Amino acid sequence: MKRNPLTLVVGVLLIIIFGLWLFVFQVRTTEVAVVTTFGNPTRPLTEPGPYLKWPWPIQKVWLFDKRVQNFEDKLTEGLTRDSFNLLTTVYVGWKISDPASFFPKFVSSENPIGEAERQLERLLGNAKSAVIGRHRLSDFISTTDSGTNFVAIENEILATLQTQVRANNYGLEIEFLGIKRLQLPPNVSQSVFDRMTSERKVLADQLQYEGEADAQKIRSDAERKAQEMLAGAQGEATGIKGQGEAEAAKSLSVFQQNPALASFLFRLNALEGSLKDRSILVFDQNTPPFDLFRGGSTNWLGGQK
Amino acid sequence: MNDHPHSHEEAPGLTAPADTPVDVGSQALSEALRSSFAIIRFLMILLVVIFFASGFFTVGPAQRAIILRFGKPVGDGEKALLGPGKLHWSLPYPIDECVKVNITGIQTVESKAGWYAQTPEERLSGVETPVMAGSPLNPAVDGYALTADNNVIHTRATLTYRINEPIRYVFNFVNASNAVQNALDDALLWSASQFKVDDVLTRDVAGYQESVRRRAVQLIGKQELGITVEQCAVQSIRPRQLKDAFDRVTTAEQERGKVLNDARSYENQVTNRASADAQSLINLAQTERSQMVKDMAAQAERFQDILPQYQRQPSLFVQQRLSETLGRVLTNVQDKIFVAESKDGKPRELRLLFNRELVKRAP
Repeated sequence: MKRNPLTLVVGVLLIIIFGLWLFVFQVRTTEVAVVTTFGNPTRPLTEPGPYLKWPWPIQKVWLFDKRVQNFEDKLTEGLTRDSFNLLTTVYVGWKISDPASFFPKFVSSENPIGEAERQLERLLGNAKSAVIGRHRLSDFISTTDSGTNFVAIENEILATLQTQVRANNYGLEIEFLGIKRLQLPPNVSQSVFDRMTSERKVLADQLQYEGEADAQKIRSDAERKAQEMLAGAQGEATGIKGQGEAEAAKSLSVFQQNPALASFLFRLNALEGSLKDRSILVFDQNTPPFDLFRGGSTNWLGGQK
Repeated sequence: MNDHPHSHEEAPGLTAPADTPVDVGSQALSEALRSSFAIIRFLMILLVVIFFASGFFTVGPAQRAIILRFGKPVGDGEKALLGPGKLHWSLPYPIDECVKVNITGIQTVESKAGWYAQTPEERLSGVETPVMAGSPLNPAVDGYALTADNNVIHTRATLTYRINEPIRYVFNFVNASNAVQNALDDALLWSASQFKVDDVLTRDVAGYQESVRRRAVQLIGKQELGITVEQCAVQSIRPRQLKDAFDRVTTAEQERGKVLNDARSYENQVTNRASADAQSLINLAQTERSQMVKDMAAQAERFQDILPQYQRQPSLFVQQRLSETLGRVLTNVQDKIFVAESKDGKPRELRLLFNRELVKRAP
């Protein structure tokens, strides 16, 4: 049968595609791979790109996600150096760094990533209790160290975990680690509640007493200030009056010309001034002008003599 | 394409065998073969067309696309990102692979590791079921944070961010938003451990929020998540079990403010009155002073005027003045009692009963 060239091209293309599909595989930038020959790992691949392989069943390709996985453990209890029970949850960012080491340890599992995380949780539990046991509660919570101890604890757990992961040769790498929950056992949190309640009470009472004391202080200060102002004013007023008297005294020289008359006039003024209001006057006939009562006009005239 | 099978049927080479004397069976077989070849050819061509046409794609406005050729991103950095507004083409899988990333949309993560357990209905409605004062926290479900003064608070945060390095965000992390959330949990816990309970709740809310944001940004930077933090909103409350105790402090604070305000207003009142009184004292003294001076001057002047009259006849002058003054004075006096001298010259006893009114007015 005579073949059409187009048919030929299409056929060849399809064969190429089929061949590619059989003999070539690619590793993505997010993956690492292990090629097994008859079940035996022979070629670990960490760089992305196209690779050749023999078709199944000679060689098989195992691809693993090498991106950073997030993992957090359950809330576990650990004893601090000063015997406080602390419940902590730690999050870990980890990834597969060495497929050759990772593969033989985890490939038998249904879910290699999950299995790796189970192993990590075990190691993490050890690392956590070891590190927490080295620290006091005050290293976790403190106003004074600007959080450096907290970060140091995180770093210590990270370092311990990294050492253990490396020692076990899991082919994993821990990228980062941090504490995401830090809590107390229920009975302890209950006693914290009791303490907080009494602290609140103390604070409320303190606020009340402080307020009253401050208010009292403000009041007495105000009264003292008012007294001072009045006393100052009194002093000033006395000074002013004194000045007035001094000025008035200048006129006294006028009265020096006849002290007897001056004295008489002053007494007259005083008399008039003192009797201005309602008053009762008791007198006898010796007081002028009532001496007139004493007798007739002659007597009066005689009395004048 | 559909033309091809027809043209083949009409080709002389293919129709030739029909002229040769063969049996009907083989002829039928060859006919069947021929038509099935035609179908296969058609399918093959269709496959090739689909194979290449499947490489066309567009990118949405909030997306960027990255082509992976044999698993590796094509182009470096920003150049690898294909934007919207163009028809892009990539080779079909398994040569090229197109990954689309949502980029411009603002992503949100919420940290609830430090918050108490809420049912979804409670969260939506915002209505809380009240908690018994004595009920303990269940560490399995109720999250909380410890403050620097060893108090328990609930604190949560919402962080919004924008992906600025999509390649990193997508290709380095299985679930980058989860990593962001973990960083936020860590930041809340860390910040709470640096602040006293009153600072977190009332005195330094902004400082606490800033601390959370700074720590989250720092962790995100360290983990190279390829994102920019836009906003970080933090909310903190006292444990619900201790509502009454905390409310009492708030009431005491308000009470204190009120007491202090009262005291200040009293202070104002007292000092203002004192200052007014002081001023009036001084004014009075001024008045008295000028009065005294004027008075004295007037008296001196009068003295000067009457001195010549007196010098002329001193005795008469005195008598006249005295009588005149007494007359004037006595008209003012209400009660005048005259007691005549007894004949025998003995002193007389006089009893006076002052009425009450007078006694009252005496001072």
